[in-house]
Amino acid sequence: MDKQSALVDLLRKHGAQIYDDIDNGNFPKFTIPSRSVSNIVYDKKIRQYILGANMAVRSSRNTSQLRSFTQLMWLAFFANRLTGQKKSSTLRDVYYSSQAFAVDFEDQSESDNIIVDLEAVLASPRESFHVFPEERSSVFGDLTIEYTVPGYEGKKTNLSDHPDGYAIGPSLTSSEFTETSAEVVIAIEKGGLFTRFVEEQVDKKFKAIIVDTGGQAPRSTRTLLKRLHDELSLPVVILTDGDVYGEHIAMVIKSGSANAAHLRGLTVPDAKWVGVWATDIEKYKLPTIPMTESDIKRCHDLLKDPRYQEGIWKKELEVFLKIKRKAELEAFSKYGLTNITDKYLPQKLELAKSL
Amino acid sequence: MSSKETFTQISPSEFFYRNRDLAGFSNPTRSLYTAVREFVENSLDACDQKGILADVHMSIKAVDAEKQDPKQYILTVRDNGPGIESNHVPLAFGTVLYGSKFGLKQARGMFGLGATMAILYGQITTNKPVVVKSSTDGKIQDEYEMLLDIQKNKPVILKHETKEVSKSGLSVSICLEGDYAKAGTKIRDYVYQTSLITPYATITFDDPKGEKYRYTKVIRTMPPSPTIIRPHPHGIDVETIRRMLLDTHYQIPAVDDNMISKVRKELGLANKNLSHSEIMVKTQKKWKTLTRPVRIIMALVSFLKMDFEKLSKTTIEEIDIANKKLTYWDFGESQSISIDMDPESFYYKQLANTVQGETITSFLTKRFQRVGPTTALKFAEYAKFKPEHRIGTMTNQELVKLTDGLQTFDDFMAPDPSCLAPLGESPLKKGMERFFEPDFLEVVQRGASAYSGFPFVIEMGIAYGGKISSRGMKVYRFANRIPLLYDEGSDVVLKVVNDTDWSRYKIKGDPPLVIVSHICSTRVPYKTVGKENVADRPEIERELKLALLSLSRKLSSFMSKRGQADAAIKRKNLYSKYIPLIAQFCTELAGKKNEPNYKQMITEEPIVEEKTD
Ligand SMILES: Nc1ncnc2c1ncn2[C@@H]1O[C@H](COP(=O)(O)OP(=O)(O)OP(=O)(O)O)[C@@H](O)[C@H]1O
Ligand SMILES: [Mg+2]
Repeated sequence: MDKQSALVDLLRKHGAQIYDDIDNGNFPKFTIPSRSVSNIVYDKKIRQYILGANMAVRSSRNTSQLRSFTQLMWLAFFANRLTGQKKSSTLRDVYYSSQAFAVDFEDQSESDNIIVDLEAVLASPRESFHVFPEERSSVFGDLTIEYTVPGYEGKKTNLSDHPDGYAIGPSLTSSEFTETSAEVVIAIEKGGLFTRFVEEQVDKKFKAIIVDTGGQAPRSTRTLLKRLHDELSLPVVILTDGDVYGEHIAMVIKSGSANAAHLRGLTVPDAKWVGVWATDIEKYKLPTIPMTESDIKRCHDLLKDPRYQEGIWKKELEVFLKIKRKAELEAFSKYGLTNITDKYLPQKLELAKSL
Repeated sequence: MSSKETFTQISPSEFFYRNRDLAGFSNPTRSLYTAVREFVENSLDACDQKGILADVHMSIKAVDAEKQDPKQYILTVRDNGPGIESNHVPLAFGTVLYGSKFGLKQARGMFGLGATMAILYGQITTNKPVVVKSSTDGKIQDEYEMLLDIQKNKPVILKHETKEVSKSGLSVSICLEGDYAKAGTKIRDYVYQTSLITPYATITFDDPKGEKYRYTKVIRTMPPSPTIIRPHPHGIDVETIRRMLLDTHYQIPAVDDNMISKVRKELGLANKNLSHSEIMVKTQKKWKTLTRPVRIIMALVSFLKMDFEKLSKTTIEEIDIANKKLTYWDFGESQSISIDMDPESFYYKQLANTVQGETITSFLTKRFQRVGPTTALKFAEYAKFKPEHRIGTMTNQELVKLTDGLQTFDDFMAPDPSCLAPLGESPLKKGMERFFEPDFLEVVQRGASAYSGFPFVIEMGIAYGGKISSRGMKVYRFANRIPLLYDEGSDVVLKVVNDTDWSRYKIKGDPPLVIVSHICSTRVPYKTVGKENVADRPEIERELKLALLSLSRKLSSFMSKRGQADAAIKRKNLYSKYIPLIAQFCTELAGKKNEPNYKQMITEEPIVEEKTD
């Protein structure tokens, strides 16, 4: 893969630079885009948070940075091995692996942090150097893929062959998409509803690929959504619970999170949030529960976010604040188990075309 | 009872009780401490003055070891000083206000009171005599046993013996009521701190519990001794001026046999009988060598035109300078006779000077320190006196005007510090070195300064680390080589130390830090009569601040150097740990076979740490 070899090149280039520095008796150093809050800015054009121009120098001469410099060097070295040997790892796994090399991390959060540093240096997500998230979300629908992972090269699978759906892991995300009849991608927040959608054959009825985000979508899931949109030109719609958190799950799929401001290519700017909206609560007379203190606080926080300054994003937040109540996706079951797929979904898919 | 009687009839104990607080004898604890101080300081003063490296032995022994405190103790202080002439011993130790240190120079003792008060306290509380042994020549020792009769301000000598000895020096021994249980810490502190500020002396102390404390001399040279000097105009008050004038005041001399033989002696005419004119020729020749009273007599004789025979039968009645008339009583003729004095004559001028006193300018230049003729003239103009104004003719009002002028005139030179006896930087440093064995030590002696006409010098030392315990900053205060142990809280030195922002000098927490501060002055401005804390005169505070500032800057650079050294070691360790790892990882990353050569990076000391964000 082109991207992969570019990354390996980059790692080698950095390694060679540092090698030369040391060989010449100089303390190696490199610059990383600063990830401090003051350097995170919203880019209106690409509709996501990005890092500003501030750079932080990491120098091995500086004793307060020497340890983290070494840790980062090790991680680059480890990532190089992972990609070279086509092995995958997880955040937790990386933490333990370090101990085999006398590179000590105080705890996993320290190693997680170094992983983010390497992402920033390479400007690529950790999945690209084979560090994958623990959480697995799933996908189901008519899509044929061809594996590229060692031992499976050339092997094909259709993602509608197994009714529990396919886990979105490294082999799936690194596969090639060969064929599909789907016309839309439906991302849904909850595993329970995902199963219902499969049972109700939403994939067939609406020519859809269904993705369970499992709450806040992991980055591999967001990468998959982006690829489905970009490579197969499929529109992406998002269904979440009718609360602030649900709204934000949709927003992160659409435009990323501030934590990942150092990365591009994780967003689907054209993705559409179709519900459950605050206004739907009234409209569909859904059973509700009151918003908590933290819901309300979160609502106020989001209203300050530049991405929530217009359209439904702003309007729905304001309605949530007004009614101070929220509703879950399951609330539709009040009108029968298939109400959501029979009534609500078609209306929303229709509406999405005009959004 | 007349009020006069209550003033004159005062018993020894009454006298003592009236003054005990003032002198530091308020209770058995404080009294024991004060008695120690008085005798030890007398010994040190005596040795200092004679340039002898003091060797002082002090011992306190309980009369009855079994008894509870407060109880009777025998305090003995012995030195290797000059001793006191046998006939002066009863005066020095048996009368108050007898002393040899009233002159204007720095000494520990000042009032001629200390020893006698301690002896009196002992006598009142135990009814035992004082024993003084003194030898001035190192051959014969006089031993006195005395009780004090304050009513008559004189001692009752119970015993006086002499014996042969091999060393000069003085020893005083008294029996007194004391509380060593409570005073012990202070007394030991006192001995310790005294030897710190007197590094050229050996001081030993045998305490009642059988403990021996011995501080031997660290240096063998004595700091230069101070000289007695004339007063500075700023430090003068009306009373002092009046006393100075009294010294010079003109009195009509008595022409008695004593005087005449004095005149004969000075003129070198022991038994000769010369005529008047022969006498005057001799006078003219010898004028320069004559003493003042003789000059006056001879000036008078020049007008009287008498020989000694005639002169002995004459009394001077009046010298009227204004009318140039001289009146005398002639015993032979039994009558008063007035004669005219020739105002143009040399002798008239001499007489006029004497009668009217000196001119204001000569008074200033001769009787004060560091006043030259030019300054004296400027002063006269400033205080609105004619320069030739004679001080003998001044009215009370004029005296006040003169005093005010002296105190406020700004152009006098700063007071002469030669009367001061600071320890000196090197002795102070050596003393501190021995006592504290620190990692860092700096001392400073500021130049002389003055407040209200009194010169003073600040010496200060600062020591850090080493054997100093890290129980926090400790300040040792000294004034005129005496440790100040009581009333710390309100002292100006403490104020200056506490006002300092120590974190600026990289001093934090409870640092192992010692500050030694020594104020030398002819008059230390004590806050209380107890002589334990120094008042915050702005001039003194300023000097203390400057001294502390220069020292703490040096300490600060020591601290950062020490910090840098520590950091360099830390850095080296870190480099040795991590650089090899980095080398290993980048070798594989770069796809190379051999590791880069990093040896020099972990052996060489990097000078500066790079600053990054
Ligand atoms: N150990 C000694 N050796 C020689 N002379 C001494 C000794 N102790 C005292 N004297 C003489 O006795 C005098 C009286 O001593 P005293 O302690 O009473 O007064 P002081 O020291 O002059 O002043 P203060 O009252 O401030 O102590 C001293 O001035 C000194 O001349
Ligand atoms: Mg004395």
